[in-house]
Amino acid sequence: MLNGVQAVLYREINVFRKKAKKQILASSLSPLLFLIAFGWGFGDRVAVNGLPYILFLIPGLITMSSLNQSYSIAQEINISRFYFHVFDEFLIAPISHIEIVFGEVLYGLFKASISVFLIFGYAFLFGVDLRISGLFFLVILMHSFLFSLLAMTVSMLIKDHGSQAQVNTFVITPMIFLCGTFFPVDKLPAFFKVIVHCLPLTYSTQVIRASLTGGEINFAYIGIMLIFMCTFFLTALYAVKKVEA
Amino acid sequence: MSNHPILSVSKLVKTFGKKPAVNAVDFTIQEGEFIGLLGANGAGKTTIIKSVAGLIKPTSGSILYYDKNFESHLKESKKLIGVVPQNSNLDRDLTAYENLYLHTLLHNIPVKEREAKIATALEFAELSEYRNKQVKTFSGGMKRRLVIVRALIHDPKIIFLDEPTVGLDPQIRRNLWNLILKINQVKKTAILLTTHYIEEAEKLCSRVMVIDHGDIIMDNTPEKLKHGLGRFVLEIYNEDGITETYFDSQEAALIEQGNCQSESKIRNIALEDVIIQLTGRRVNA
Ligand SMILES: Nc1ncnc2c1ncn2[C@@H]1O[C@H](COP(=O)(O)OP(=O)(O)OP(=O)(O)O)[C@@H](O)[C@H]1O
Ligand SMILES: [Mg+2]
Repeated sequence: MLNGVQAVLYREINVFRKKAKKQILASSLSPLLFLIAFGWGFGDRVAVNGLPYILFLIPGLITMSSLNQSYSIAQEINISRFYFHVFDEFLIAPISHIEIVFGEVLYGLFKASISVFLIFGYAFLFGVDLRISGLFFLVILMHSFLFSLLAMTVSMLIKDHGSQAQVNTFVITPMIFLCGTFFPVDKLPAFFKVIVHCLPLTYSTQVIRASLTGGEINFAYIGIMLIFMCTFFLTALYAVKKVEA
Repeated sequence: MSNHPILSVSKLVKTFGKKPAVNAVDFTIQEGEFIGLLGANGAGKTTIIKSVAGLIKPTSGSILYYDKNFESHLKESKKLIGVVPQNSNLDRDLTAYENLYLHTLLHNIPVKEREAKIATALEFAELSEYRNKQVKTFSGGMKRRLVIVRALIHDPKIIFLDEPTVGLDPQIRRNLWNLILKINQVKKTAILLTTHYIEEAEKLCSRVMVIDHGDIIMDNTPEKLKHGLGRFVLEIYNEDGITETYFDSQEAALIEQGNCQSESKIRNIALEDVIIQLTGRRVNA
């Protein structure tokens, strides 16, 4: 049963390995730019929710980067589906759909974890003190898992490569900017507040930040993340079942 | 050849939108058979192969592997088949070895057998020295050989080859045909292959199916198919082009040739004549 998961991971990790330097370099740039622009720009002169802005920002960057990385598997699956047809190999093989989903999602977690450690490194360089706890690892795992599953769903449902870019532009990027990554959501007008509370990122950002800065953990939010996770698991499984080469 | 159909397909239909690409086709494949699936571009060959390989879902109809329903016995059925798709789906970034290793994982081949199977496959494809080279550095012929041996690693009972020799030079094409023939004769693997090289199919296949606009319109040995039309062709070259007439005996053809003023030639009938006759008539109809 596990050979399918192992196979998918073997493929993804080996392809990643060959481009690792470039990929890691590329993914480390944007959080650094945010840190320089906002972190140094506002520094500790601005306080948000009682935290120096840079302390508020870094957990947001961890959330953003891990989301970007776990969600980026959608792009890779697309290329292997539409251009190289490598995904067909998985569909032809005697492995189950669940194995394909888990293989890809574990790869998403792998990529997300690299970005998390990268930003830990930045935090250290910028002299920001984070409280890294078991709870943090649990919620960042859930967060990355959730968005890998979303990526899996989207990459199976779209009909061509162009639609992937549209989903990114109209869903993922706005979500990253509005869901509390760079400023607290309670600063948003009521209308947007309703919208962002329909999006999973609002909950994971809040919990991840709280766990890293010693804030109060809202356990109901963890419950909501769990619901999103289960939903996306079912949609991913459904989408893989439906997919045709 | 024993009488065990590996694959029985009946009333298979696949429509894209409203357009049927495959229109209620029936066929069976016995153990060890070598079958050519011939037909014009867009006739539905790839759609049939994708359906029986589980890459697309048929609109209706049944697919059985050893009398078991494909859809409800997916895992065990997929173990029986090997697929060489029309578009190479090798991983360009991985090496030949890594591509094959991935396949051993996908097919759950026991750890201690993996290395030996990969080595044998590379040798069979004459690619041993390229084992650790990335596939993106391979020529078209090397890639094609690699996809073919990859499809064999798990010892399938049947392989589907979708235009395995397209775009290759004559020398390499012949090598590949020999490789495929060897697979059929040595490993007794049944083969269903599509190609536009009808002459080659005629030489190699024990049975040929002709598909046209989603229908299988002929299913027989190349010999029987050909001789349905006649044995000899009289080609007459006139202003409008070439007209072809078919005769059962050379004498009859010679008599007709004697009556004709224009330049002309008598030759043996080829499978290609039959296919053009059959599918051409339908295009015009
Ligand atoms: N994914 C798809 N969506 C819509 N139409 C499709 C799709 N795949 C195939 N078709 C249509 O189905 C018909 C059969 O296509 P198919 O690829 O099976 O032909 P083929 O016999 O393999 O042709 P070729 O020799 O060119 O490879 C064609 O009319 C094609 O346009
Ligand atoms: Mg085709």
